[in-house]
Amino acid sequence: MAKKRIRSGDVEGINMTPMIDIVFQMIIFFVLTIDMDKKQFDDRIKLAMAPHGKAVEQKDPRTVIVDVNERGTISIAFAVMSPEVFRKVMRNAVARYGQTVPVVIRGDRETRHKDIRRVMDICSSVGLWKIKFGAIKEKAGTVR
Amino acid sequence: MALRRRIKLSDDDVAEIPMTPMIDIVFQLLIYFLVTIKPIDVMAHLDVYRPSPESQRQQSEVPPNLIKITIFDQGLMINDRLVSLSGLASLLDKLADLDPNQTILIMCTALSPHERLVQVLDMCAQSGLNNLSVISTN
Repeated sequence: MAKKRIRSGDVEGINMTPMIDIVFQMIIFFVLTIDMDKKQFDDRIKLAMAPHGKAVEQKDPRTVIVDVNERGTISIAFAVMSPEVFRKVMRNAVARYGQTVPVVIRGDRETRHKDIRRVMDICSSVGLWKIKFGAIKEKAGTVR
Repeated sequence: MALRRRIKLSDDDVAEIPMTPMIDIVFQLLIYFLVTIKPIDVMAHLDVYRPSPESQRQQSEVPPNLIKITIFDQGLMINDRLVSLSGLASLLDKLADLDPNQTILIMCTALSPHERLVQVLDMCAQSGLNNLSVISTN
């Protein structure tokens, strides 16, 4: 009987602090990571699959991500712009950061090449010859 | 002594704060974030080079041994020979075995879908070919 009493006393005295610490760490992690990537990308653009492409590991903060939807509309961070405005934006980016600015074209899989070409030509005209195409390497588990 | 006793009592009070409601709320928050989080796709970047205006002028003098892949809206051609996607993959594997640094010229017609270009670039990445140049044609 005496032994049982000692055991029950031990159970009541469990130290909760490490568990609460870990739970708070997890909450902070989720709060910080939940919105960052969603804001950048337009979910309406259905990217093509490229399972063998180079995975994006390090993001250059200067990267310009250009969205081209299936109708050929150009937008950067949800801001729709005409080709002329896009040219000005790219010219400013090159003037500010030089000709090593990474450009990622996120074209919808249905987009015609002539619309992608228009974006590439504008990039070439401002001196950017190295271009990246955005694609999906691995689809997330859920069906959208 | 009286002061010491008071301090001891206040220490006991702090230790007896009920933790259960806080843990309940923390778990609720955790479950909320776990349920609402949307998994993000793993992104890939396919690097290509765009010929500069000067090199476009020199295209008439392209060396005959250059690998040229043409993408139409309906099919694919490699060095003016029609191929399927699987056929192109095996050909690219063979070419990569010979020289992985050779330049591949990818020519896209205006109406070809972007997905096909990405597929071809992905195949080149699979074969280990890195020098890719995309040219647009009408």
